[in-house]
This record gives sequence, structure tokens and C-alpha cells, in this order.
Amino acid sequence: MSSGVSNKLASMRAVWLGLLIASVALLSIATFDDRGPETSEERIQRLSDSFACPECDGQAVSESNAAVAANIRTFIRDRVTEGATDTEIRDELIRSYSSDVLLNPPSEGISALVWILPVVVAVFGVAGLVVSIRRDGEGSRTASAADVALVAEARTDSTSTDSDASRPPASESDSSA
Amino acid sequence: MNSALGFAFSVLGLSASVFGALGGIYALVRNTPRLLVTVRQWAWLVLLAAVGAFVVMEVALFQRDYSVKFVQLVGSDSTPPLFNFAALWSALEGSIILWALILAGYIAAYLWKFRARVLDPLHGWTLVVLLVISAFFFGLMVGPANPFTEVAVPANFSGPGPNPLLQNHVLVAFHPPMLYLGYVGFSVPFAFAIAALITGRVGEGWLVETRRWTVAAWGFLTLGIVLGAWWSYEVLGWGGYWAWDPVENASLLPWLTGTAYLHSVMVQERRGMLRVWNLSLLCSTFALTILGTFLSRSGVVDSVHAFSEGSVGPWLLVFFTVVSGVSIGLIAWRGDRLRSPGAIDSALSREASFLANNVIFGALAFVVLLGTVFPLLAEAYDGTRLTIGRPYFDSMARPIAFVMLFLMAAAPVLPWRKASGELLAERLFWPAVMGVGAMFVAVVLGARGFYPMLTFGLGGFAAGAALRQVTLATRRQGWRGFVGRTNGGMIVHLGIVLLAVGVASSEAYKTDRTATLLPGQSVEVAGHTFRYVSFEGDETSQRVRIWANVEIDGDEIYTPAQTRYTERGMIVPTPSVRPGFSEDLFLVLDDAPRNGDPDAPIRLRVVVRPMITWLWAGGVLMGLGSLLAIFPGRRRRGTEPVSAAVPPRGDVVGAGA
Repeated sequence: MSSGVSNKLASMRAVWLGLLIASVALLSIATFDDRGPETSEERIQRLSDSFACPECDGQAVSESNAAVAANIRTFIRDRVTEGATDTEIRDELIRSYSSDVLLNPPSEGISALVWILPVVVAVFGVAGLVVSIRRDGEGSRTASAADVALVAEARTDSTSTDSDASRPPASESDSSA
Repeated sequence: MNSALGFAFSVLGLSASVFGALGGIYALVRNTPRLLVTVRQWAWLVLLAAVGAFVVMEVALFQRDYSVKFVQLVGSDSTPPLFNFAALWSALEGSIILWALILAGYIAAYLWKFRARVLDPLHGWTLVVLLVISAFFFGLMVGPANPFTEVAVPANFSGPGPNPLLQNHVLVAFHPPMLYLGYVGFSVPFAFAIAALITGRVGEGWLVETRRWTVAAWGFLTLGIVLGAWWSYEVLGWGGYWAWDPVENASLLPWLTGTAYLHSVMVQERRGMLRVWNLSLLCSTFALTILGTFLSRSGVVDSVHAFSEGSVGPWLLVFFTVVSGVSIGLIAWRGDRLRSPGAIDSALSREASFLANNVIFGALAFVVLLGTVFPLLAEAYDGTRLTIGRPYFDSMARPIAFVMLFLMAAAPVLPWRKASGELLAERLFWPAVMGVGAMFVAVVLGARGFYPMLTFGLGGFAAGAALRQVTLATRRQGWRGFVGRTNGGMIVHLGIVLLAVGVASSEAYKTDRTATLLPGQSVEVAGHTFRYVSFEGDETSQRVRIWANVEIDGDEIYTPAQTRYTERGMIVPTPSVRPGFSEDLFLVLDDAPRNGDPDAPIRLRVVVRPMITWLWAGGVLMGLGSLLAIFPGRRRRGTEPVSAAVPPRGDVVGAGA
């Protein structure tokens, strides 16, 4: 019997290993068998996606029908054809317009906060999650008399129906005490 | 006449709300049930006033009564009836009438649903809070945003009509009301939350009662957002559907916190935990609907969707501050009652996964809020002008979306309390097979790229977990396996998977080309031939419309158009879309010969977006899932993965009521 269980476990493990290998393989194919280096057409598209049209409320120049957006699109196309680098194009556009032509806020100065704050929040969120699971996990190893009572109460609770909330909520008076 | 009548209804609404709220507070504090009963009459008067104001404004719009200020603003002799009807919510003042009407409707629905329970203080306070909210909106109608102001009418006057973008597509009649039904719908659970805090009955009773209200509001908000994206795709003609524009973000924020709430509330119902957290989420959801309205209606942020600017900005900000302050104060005041009796036992449990869900939704809401308001704050701080746009939001939201998809796969199979590795391995087996299968099919079909492939894999995984739940439920319960919160929720999950796959493929494999074409010339894009055939135009008193006949693959003719609205002098492109299961062909007439010369070249933009239809289908499925989740399921469905044995109950269920 026990050998049957461990056999089943072993085969389960093998199957999951297989699934893991298959997904890594498929992801690798998808990643490395990509269409090769970026073509200039793709580069133009990417660049036009990353600059704001100065007159159209934060729309990208690739998305806007405004004349100034068309001008910037032509400018990007010309400069890419001439072989300018991304940084050159970026700097030239900032010089002609202003830094708010960038849809991606720069990572220096005050706008660096836009990049830092989410990371800080994410770290705090994950830390809070870990702490609350850890702390709760330890605290609940032993069942106190109150826990037992709560379980009993919860069981009675769950036999009542949804629309039955008119009854005085017993668990509330309990927990507030 | 309409002016006076409409204003009278606004004043009636305001005074009924104020008297009702004051009377209710007095009756509740002094404990006089006979007075409390009368609050209901005030509430019905609020409904009467809101319906009255709405009808008067519609009548004024249809009579072209330009002596009403709002009609002068958005009315026009030549607007077609449908758009004339929808003109009511095409600018700020009118949209507040719609808000008040929907709020009054919710109040009436609430009164009717809980008509037997008027004397319960919890319900008394709920009604008071609802009336306070309605007093605020009627106050706006009477004061700073009065749509009924009487103005002089110049001779032979005809107004400009609604913004041309808002009279271009039938969706305008559905998207804003749907969105408002969502926004305003959160007022009811919010009012319950505040009432629970005031009465001190902060346990699970009010949660259970507001469950369906919240799901309904969430479903409307979801549909509203998806319809908005669709409208943007069909009307704005930039080839996309979501631009991370401040107005879009404003609608997404309450959706995110509302989604987090819908999940974590289950932990409280089941285990009694997370009380403070749930109250905070619900209050922030409501506060964010107000903040969103402030952001989109006050003109503080630039947006392509900001159709109305006005003087209500400061009022909305004050209301937002009051809502937040009162919520925080009450939660702090009731802090001692909000301690949870339960605890989380293991990281491998349903409740831990819901907590993780909350962290991730909270993080996304934070990022969206930060990106939306940061330019404002930076400019206020030291005058820095900066734009935060799509690349930023995309790079922030992408990893979060992947974690969400993963959680959607793992969480539904996790039992409450604690799971073992073997249990997970067993339950996740078929979902995992589906995930790998989805990637395999995608690779065989030629899809490449890391991000789309990860979306397909995790999407298949999540869809597998959702299908597993629905399959098990229907096997046991027949058609009832589709209804109830758990099963309806799984249908919503399937909708989100479709949406994610649609977004990933339509972005990653998009082709966007612009070509200048002479009549007879053609351009090849993504394996399709687009031939410019001819050029046509027509004219009405209201607009001049020109369109190009473009033949796709030598077969059907599509007609991307440009419309110039004479009154506002605005040119609106109307894209022509050939939708399809595997790809959409999206044509925009970028530039056309103004003089109407039939031999002149046109500039045609062609965007090919694979599988974007999946996105809309996902939206429909999410709406359907919400509906199924509201539908009364079997109490405590037996298919829910519960770790502890639950004794059979049978008929006791009915008898317990």
C-alpha cells in the first residue's frame, strides 16, 4: 500500500518535472527564435510609441493625428534612416520641445520618485504579507478555548442563510467583548 | 418653463435629501422609530426629484429649448434623436443629473429590498449616508453646476450640439450610463460600511447583505470600462483601445480596489479576518470614484476624454476629503471592535492567496494613481513639467498582470486553512497541462516572443483552474454549477483570461502601416491587399463627411471616413474595421483631399491587430460572470474546496432561516 503511494508520488513528480521542462522549452523557443534583430521599421514604431505629442494631452506621437505628431514621426523616420542612435533622437526632441515630450518619465530628478515609490510599496507589501502569514501561522498552532468556541459558532453560522442577517450578529458581540 | 421646473426638481431633491438625512440622524440618535419611518418618504421624494430633473432636461433637449443653459451648450437643431438623448451626459452639468438619477434609483432599489427592515438602526444609518451623498450631488445641481440656469436666446440660435466625438457611435448611449451604474453602485456598500461602523455592528452581517450589490456594481463598472475601451477603438481612430489616459485610469482605480475587496471579503465572511482591511478597501473604492470624477471633471489633468470642465472641481475635492476623513476616523474609532478572531495558518491556503491578491491589486492601484497624479504634484512642487504615459504604465503593469494570472490559476484550487503539496500537485495537474498545451499550440501556430508566450501559458493555466471548478460544480449540481459567487467568479476569470490573451496578441503582433495611395493603387499589409478605389463625400447642414472606398483582398469594400462638424469646426476620423476571430483590420483615413479632387492621393493608415476580438469577448464574459455570481446559488456550495469535513446539512439550510 505504502509503496503504491510513493510510486504515485514519484510518477506525479516526474509528470510535473516534464511539464516544467516543456514550459521552459516552449518559452525559450518563443524567446530566442524571435524575428531576429529589430528592423528599422520596428525601431521607428518603438520610438514613436515612446514620445508624447506635445499638443495632445499625453497621446503618443504614433497615436495622434495632429500635425505636430506627424512632424515628429517624420523626424524620427528621417533620423533613424540617417543612423542616429536612440539617445541622440531623444536629446534632439527634448531640445526642440521640452522634457515633457518623454512618455516615460526620466529616472533622474524628482521624477525618479515615480520609479522608486512603486518598488518601495511592493517591498513593503510583500514584507507585510510574509509577516502576517508568519505571525498568524505561529499564533494559531494551539487552539485556545476561544478558538474552539469560535469554530462552534462558525459552524452554527454557516447553517443560516444569506438573507438571514437580521438576526443579532452573535460573532460581533463576541469579538468586541 | 423648463428652466424653472428643472430647478424646482433640483431644489426638491436637495431639500428632501437634507431633511431626510437630518430627520434620520435625529431619529436614530434620539431613538424615535416613528420619525425614522418618515425618512423613507423623503427618500422616495428624492427619486421623484431625480426622475423629474432627468425628464425635464430630456424634454428641453428634444424641444430645443435653448433658454436652458445646458441645452444651449450641447443642443443643436440637427442632432439625431439618439445622440440628442445621449447629449444629456455629454457634458458636466448633465452628467451630474445622470449621477443623481442613478443614485436615486439605487436608493429606491435599496428601500424596496430592505422595506421590512426600516427600524433596524443599521439600515437607518445606511439610508442617512445615502441621502447625504445624494444631498451632495443635488447640491451641485442647485449650486455650482446648475444645468437649468435660464439664459437669453439669440435670434435664430442653434447650439453646437454635443462634442462630435460623442455623436459618432451608438456606444455613447451605453458606455457612460454603464460606467455610472458602476461608480454609483458602490455607494450602497459604502453606506452600509459607514452604518456598520457607526452602529458598531462591524461583523459579517452587513457584508453578507451587500455582497450582491457590490458584485452588481463591479459588473457594471467592468462593462463600462470595456465598453469605453471599445468606444475608444471604434471612434477615436488611433488604432488602440487603452491609452492609460487620466480619465481611463480614474475608472480603473475603483475597479482595482473593488476587485481586491470582492476577494478579501470572502476571507472575512469565511474566517472573520481582515475587517479593517475590508472596510478600508470599500471606503477607498467609493472615495476613488469621487476622486476619479474630480480628476476627469475638473480639468486639472489633460485628457483626450475630458469632455467637460467646470467649476465643480473644488467641491468634489472637498467631498473626497470628507469621505476619506470620515472613513478613516470611523475605522480608527471602532478599532477595538475590528480585531479579527481568525488567523492565517499557512501560505498555502485560500486566505493567504486572497491576501496576495490584495497586495498585487493594491500595488497596481498605487502605480496607476501615482502615474496619474504625479505630473500634477511635480508641477506644483517645483514647476517640473513631465508626462507619464503608456511606456511607464505598461512596464509597471506587465509584471503585476503576470502575477495576477498566476494567482488566478493557483488560488481557486487552494482550500481554506491549509493545503499540502500533494493536494496542489493533484489539483493543478490539468490546469498546468492546459497552460503547457496553450503554449504548445501557440508555438506551432508560429507565435513568438517571451511576453505573449508567458501570457498564453499562464492564461491557459488560469483558465484550466477556472474550468476545473466549473466542471466539478456542474458535475455535482447540474446547471446550478454555473451560478453562485464561486462559479460565476470562475466565469469572470475565464473572461479575464480571454482579455489578457487579446491584449497580449493584439499588442505584440500588431502591424501598423501608413501609406499614401492614388486611386487604383494598393498596399500590402500583413498578408492583405488594400486597394484605394475611389473617394466620395456627402453633406448635411450639420456635417461634411468624406470617405474612401478601400477594397480588401479584392473582395469587400470598406469605408474609412472623416467627418467635419460644421458647428464646432472639428474633424473626426471614423475608422472602418473588419473584425474577425483571428485578426481585426482597422482602416483610418489619415489625410484626404480637402478640395474633393478624386484623383488626389489619400493617406491611409492600416492597423492589423490579431485576436483583439478576444478582448471584447472577455469583457462580455466578465459581465455574464457577474450576473451568474449574483444569481442565488446553493448555500455553501459543496464543491468549494474545504479542508475540514463539513457535516451534511440537508433541509436544515431552509429551516435555519
